[in-house]
Amino acid sequence: MAAVLLSKSERAYIQSSLKATPPLRADGRGLLDFRTVLLETGVAPLANGSARLNIGKMAREGGGGTEIVAAAKLEVEDVESGDGVDGGRVACSVTCSPAAYPHLSSNALDELQHDLSVILQQTIGHPSLHPRNLTIIPRKKSWLLNLDAVVLADAGNVVDALFMAARAALWDAKVPRTRAVQYRAPEALKSAKNDVPGAMDVDEGTSGFDTRDMARTAADFELPDYWDEGETLDGREKWPVCVTLNLLTPRHFLDATPAEEASVPQRLHLMFSFVPSAPPTLQAMRLLGPEELDLKDLKESIAFGEQYAKELFTALETKLREEDNRRNIKARDRFALMR
Amino acid sequence: MSSRIEILNDGGFRSDGRKQYELRDITIDLSQQGTADGSAMITHGLTQVLVTVFGPREAKMRSQTLHDRAVLNVEMSVAPFSTGDRRKRSRADRRILELSAMIASTFEPVVQTTLYPRSQIDIYIHVIQQDGSLLPACINATTLALITAGVPLHDFVCAVTGGVHSTSPLLDLTTLEENDVPHMTVAVMPRTRKVTLVTMETRLHVERFRELFELACEAGQTIHKEMKAAVKERTVALVGAIDAGSKPGVVDERDRDVFMGESI
Amino acid sequence: MICFASFPATSDASGSYGTTRHHPDVEDDVRMDLDEDDFEEGVQRLTVPGESITSSHAFMRGHGTYVDDEEVIASVAGTVERVNKLITVRAVRSRYNPEVGDLVVGRITEVQPRRWKVDANSRQDAVLMLSSVNLPGGVQRRKLESDELQMRTFFEEGDLLVAEVQAFFADGAMSLHTRSLRYGKLRNGQLVTVPPILIRRLKSHFVSLPCGVDLILGLNGYIWVSKHVKQSDQEGEEGFDAEAVYSNKNDEIDDATRAAIARVSNIIKVLASHFVPLTDAVLLEAYEWAVDQENSVKDLLADETGENLVASIGLGIRP
Repeated sequence: MAAVLLSKSERAYIQSSLKATPPLRADGRGLLDFRTVLLETGVAPLANGSARLNIGKMAREGGGGTEIVAAAKLEVEDVESGDGVDGGRVACSVTCSPAAYPHLSSNALDELQHDLSVILQQTIGHPSLHPRNLTIIPRKKSWLLNLDAVVLADAGNVVDALFMAARAALWDAKVPRTRAVQYRAPEALKSAKNDVPGAMDVDEGTSGFDTRDMARTAADFELPDYWDEGETLDGREKWPVCVTLNLLTPRHFLDATPAEEASVPQRLHLMFSFVPSAPPTLQAMRLLGPEELDLKDLKESIAFGEQYAKELFTALETKLREEDNRRNIKARDRFALMR
Repeated sequence: MSSRIEILNDGGFRSDGRKQYELRDITIDLSQQGTADGSAMITHGLTQVLVTVFGPREAKMRSQTLHDRAVLNVEMSVAPFSTGDRRKRSRADRRILELSAMIASTFEPVVQTTLYPRSQIDIYIHVIQQDGSLLPACINATTLALITAGVPLHDFVCAVTGGVHSTSPLLDLTTLEENDVPHMTVAVMPRTRKVTLVTMETRLHVERFRELFELACEAGQTIHKEMKAAVKERTVALVGAIDAGSKPGVVDERDRDVFMGESI
Repeated sequence: MICFASFPATSDASGSYGTTRHHPDVEDDVRMDLDEDDFEEGVQRLTVPGESITSSHAFMRGHGTYVDDEEVIASVAGTVERVNKLITVRAVRSRYNPEVGDLVVGRITEVQPRRWKVDANSRQDAVLMLSSVNLPGGVQRRKLESDELQMRTFFEEGDLLVAEVQAFFADGAMSLHTRSLRYGKLRNGQLVTVPPILIRRLKSHFVSLPCGVDLILGLNGYIWVSKHVKQSDQEGEEGFDAEAVYSNKNDEIDDATRAAIARVSNIIKVLASHFVPLTDAVLLEAYEWAVDQENSVKDLLADETGENLVASIGLGIRP
């Protein structure tokens, strides 16, 4: 996404290699090959769900790759005071590190992160994807789900990476179990509150207790069990994935490097959601670049995109379940050690 | 909220089970990140900071260059999810600008900037997680990142926080402790034992200050050892790889004609 | 088509430190002595910033050192080198430190009056003066005003070139020249970047591999991988052909050559990620291994293949 300086002959070389039969990319990949994606969930213990993702990192001292850390964090909002919305809401933000774009001015960086925030917010925050379990007490309290992503390095294909990281963080997010309580005496709540700092797991710590409006509201909630991380977000299978088709008519290819991004006239971002036992839905779409695209070609591209997105989705899902397993085993081992 | 937590109990243990002078675990990762010239990820307990260094390189804005030395540009970003309460800070946030300025002035006398007139050295700090001792973690990571980038320094800069609970000094404070006891941050250069930064935003009795200050300087030496070990380990590994590549067998071959494909 | 993996465990990479808790009262002598062995004769000595190397009475300080209190002290982490009385420390990783006569590959960042600014991975952008390039219509002709007006027809922003370091300005910026038939604009290939320390000063930095691939190993860590061009073609029949020298058009490149260029590029990336110094011999050996293995080009970037490649030539970072 960043403007990379490229000479005319480099650009011509990349284009002619992509158009050759069989096509060949600078690093030997096929048109539809992704670079290796590294993924780890649960990287930020202070968040309710988090993930770190890297596309295309080289081994050992090689570095490189597009690297993103995403985290989901829940906050209690008061519906009656007008801060929150009944049923909860989702807010997304993207921060781009100047290290990822060392040649951009800070204004350009702000624009870029605003742009990425908007794509993420419009897609992830769409009502059709809204999780149903963000209500704490109907019409009184609800959760605000903050999804924050930090782009630490950009080696191309940042939008796909962003959505993968977002999906992983949301997949990992746990909503604390709550129990509505009647307001009687302050002591009961005080004693419950004091457990928070002592608890090892700070995930649901401070945000779980918003006692500002205690006096006005007759009913509040408590967390029945501090050791339980809570339940997963409702409909976590639905969170979309993005595939970016880099269009070099008549061909298209996936997972472009910065040099490749600078060499193609058009890019098409497609965000698909795959709900089990329902047809896939196209949640968002964005066409970037100076050229125009035929409607017929667009339809075709969407059909291809759906197919690639499905593959991406399946692979990501497998990896996420692996991560869940890995961390369960790790947690169990640690528990066994403590006893 | 902190009043209910015992900062130091009768057994001499702190809320996280440490002794008075005990430092938290430090882990250091100096491997290459992205396209940076140097980078370091450091964790002090739950506080985690990633620093990437670019440069010395051509200054982005020519008007800001200095004709006799390089400019140190420190930019800091704090991940919104790094704290217990989510808080998104913009890059122009006062607190962040203040911390950046403090870090820049800490390194100003340490980096040999006069070797690179008209250049710029960019230091990008990412706070991934915070649980107290944020400024020391940033300073320590910056030192390491500058070293991995090959930027000449007079010495390491090693920082640590210290606080006083009634009359007992504590080292390497967590957020919980920082909220409750008067504390300060000290950064030292281990070889000369010179201090490049002392900052305190709370009140502390003069007599306690002296004791705590000396203790913090000593702790800086301990942190120096960890940092030095990490740098050495990486240097040994990389130099080893280079040496293996320059072993005699390979060197000899170097002298033959390089145009091997000439016959084609 | 897409495959996921896990991040390498950092605890492995960072080794043994950080596993125990530390206490300012407890002196950890073991670690203090780590470096003492390195001081023996003939053994390479490593140092870190702030470490005293020797007395300043007997020796002179060079790059990577400074003098304080009659001691020569290191300012970077790397190897101590001694030439007679001169002590220098070479950083294990840094930006490119140019020397006159070095061959570099650079990219034009800006066109200014009578000069180009060139990114060459150094402390400042290098300068290429209009008077330091060969102009069309004879090597030795006078520069005209019209040349100044059409500087972009020679080099424009983004163009890659190979040049030699000619001199330094007072502020340390380097000035380049392309006044040789082997220097000038680069075409027919792609750029790979590696840490500059991995490129050693060789007899020649123009390397031709038998697979029809030419390499230009810029000492600044920029490597140009391109289709092999015969020496005679390059120089042209009439000695200097401005059209060809400043052309932006690539020649016809067949698929086999493109595949070879991609393979060589990947090999360079793998070797660099394992911190193997790049010489023509090492590159040739690695290329032969890669062809023997019958790997596809992209497989080379898989971690395991990379490890095997580096192991096969017996180099790389020791675990």
